[in-house]
Amino acid sequence: MAKEMFLAGCAASAFGAKFARVEVISSYPIRPYTGVMMELSKIVANGELDAEFVHGEGEHAQVSIAYGASAAGARAYTGSSGVGVAYAMECYSPAAGGRYPIQMIIADRALDPPGDFGSEHTDVMGCRDQGWIMGWAETPQEAFDNTLIYYRIGEDPKIMLPQFCCQDGYFVSHIPGKVVLPEQSQVDEFLPPYDPPDPLDPTNPTSHGPQVYPDQGSAIDIQRAQAHLDVPKVTEQVMDDFSRIFGRTYNPFVEEYMTDDADFVFFIQGAHARTARFAVNHLRKKGVKAGMVKLRFVRPFPTEVVKECLSKFKAVGCVETSTSYGGAMKGGNLIHEVRASLYDSPKQPLVTSFMAGLGGEVVTLNEFYNMAKVLSQAIKDKKIKKYVYWLGFEKEGI
Amino acid sequence: MSDFKFPEGKEVPRGAVLPAPVKENRMMITGNWRTDRPVIDHEKCTLCLNCFIYCPDACWHLDEEEEKMVWNADFCKGCLICAVECPAFALTAVNELEFEDGVVRLEKPF
Ligand code: SF4
Ligand code: SF4
Repeated sequence: MAKEMFLAGCAASAFGAKFARVEVISSYPIRPYTGVMMELSKIVANGELDAEFVHGEGEHAQVSIAYGASAAGARAYTGSSGVGVAYAMECYSPAAGGRYPIQMIIADRALDPPGDFGSEHTDVMGCRDQGWIMGWAETPQEAFDNTLIYYRIGEDPKIMLPQFCCQDGYFVSHIPGKVVLPEQSQVDEFLPPYDPPDPLDPTNPTSHGPQVYPDQGSAIDIQRAQAHLDVPKVTEQVMDDFSRIFGRTYNPFVEEYMTDDADFVFFIQGAHARTARFAVNHLRKKGVKAGMVKLRFVRPFPTEVVKECLSKFKAVGCVETSTSYGGAMKGGNLIHEVRASLYDSPKQPLVTSFMAGLGGEVVTLNEFYNMAKVLSQAIKDKKIKKYVYWLGFEKEGI
Repeated sequence: MSDFKFPEGKEVPRGAVLPAPVKENRMMITGNWRTDRPVIDHEKCTLCLNCFIYCPDACWHLDEEEEKMVWNADFCKGCLICAVECPAFALTAVNELEFEDGVVRLEKPF
């Protein structure tokens, strides 16, 4: 029988790894992700999971261990937060280029503006172009489910890509929520053992990560880009299997909330979607036609789905928890993806972005109401004034 | 799924995983980086194997039948560590320009 537990995001991810029967775990502490490894080390020590638990001497070593383990054919699991994610940067591209389906749990944390432990997506968003699959969990339940879903997608023979399985630091990683844990047999049916195509094997030696000539580099890049093109199709199959086996259904790419007749939507990923839902409920009571669209994957970005979904509305506010300093839109990362997706759509909503919750600030209900004001005004004026609003710092008192 | 077709001669194995080379990687010749090469004087060589041990590219090996050290030009970068470590002073650095097949005369120097 499936059972329910009250788990914080970190523990939920650790349980996800346990149910996924990961074979090699490599750890190095940094908050707020540390709880994942604390829980997993207990699980391994108690004999509930038969896995090698290896401590790296830093995050670079940590990801290298997972890389080697995956090359040897193991289902490898690692994770980090904030500056730790950045320190391992060198390892991300070869892991994706060599096609090792490692999973890395990220509990997001700011990349120090001089010194900051707060939650913010800037850490791993800075690594989003390395060829890893990447998306966010909003709740501990989603964190648990994503662990299984991401391995299934990443290990698919057509895909073979590593995955950044992300959750907001503190807001998800440290806040307990109800998690339905399945039967092991259900997970085994959903996620069969990893079947590596070319494992390191002394009886049939292979060379992994060899030096290549420059023109071979582009050929390997094409392979990786092609794998990303294949992810959406595989994701749909995986999600079908997921709902069949576990009885819980997720829209594979975006979740729409109160969008049927919405004039504007908050476009958002991760923990703050919970607050956004409350804000939408309240706005609806006041007669404001607000809605929410929650993004489940940033890489590969579901361009067509987002284009079709967002072109229905008059205005879209991207709620950003990471920045792209000096970028084309002067603000966050999501607005770049959204505007690019909508570029050739015959129907163009007004799109702006809200910098919210940087450095780990709580995004309050009030701030959502302020965003609603900006979007409503933009609809009235039929134009947006600015590409980016820094919530709480705007003169106009949005 | 993906319909991309690599033009002929442009294919690479997935993730660049290759059958392991048994002795050396013929796909990546790096000996043409040299400016000087170590030249052995077999008369002085005592077969102590220091050059074999110290060479970072495994360019020296012992031919047991002939009882002499053999040098692999394809991977020697000319770092001359072997010459420094040779206790018998059997190895000397000679500029590549001195050789008919010197790397300076290769069509593709690097
Ligand atoms: S010069 Fe350097 S690379 Fe060449 S054989 Fe001597 S030690 Fe090896
Ligand atoms: S180090 Fe010198 S003496 Fe020793 S084997 Fe090599 S060439 Fe001969």
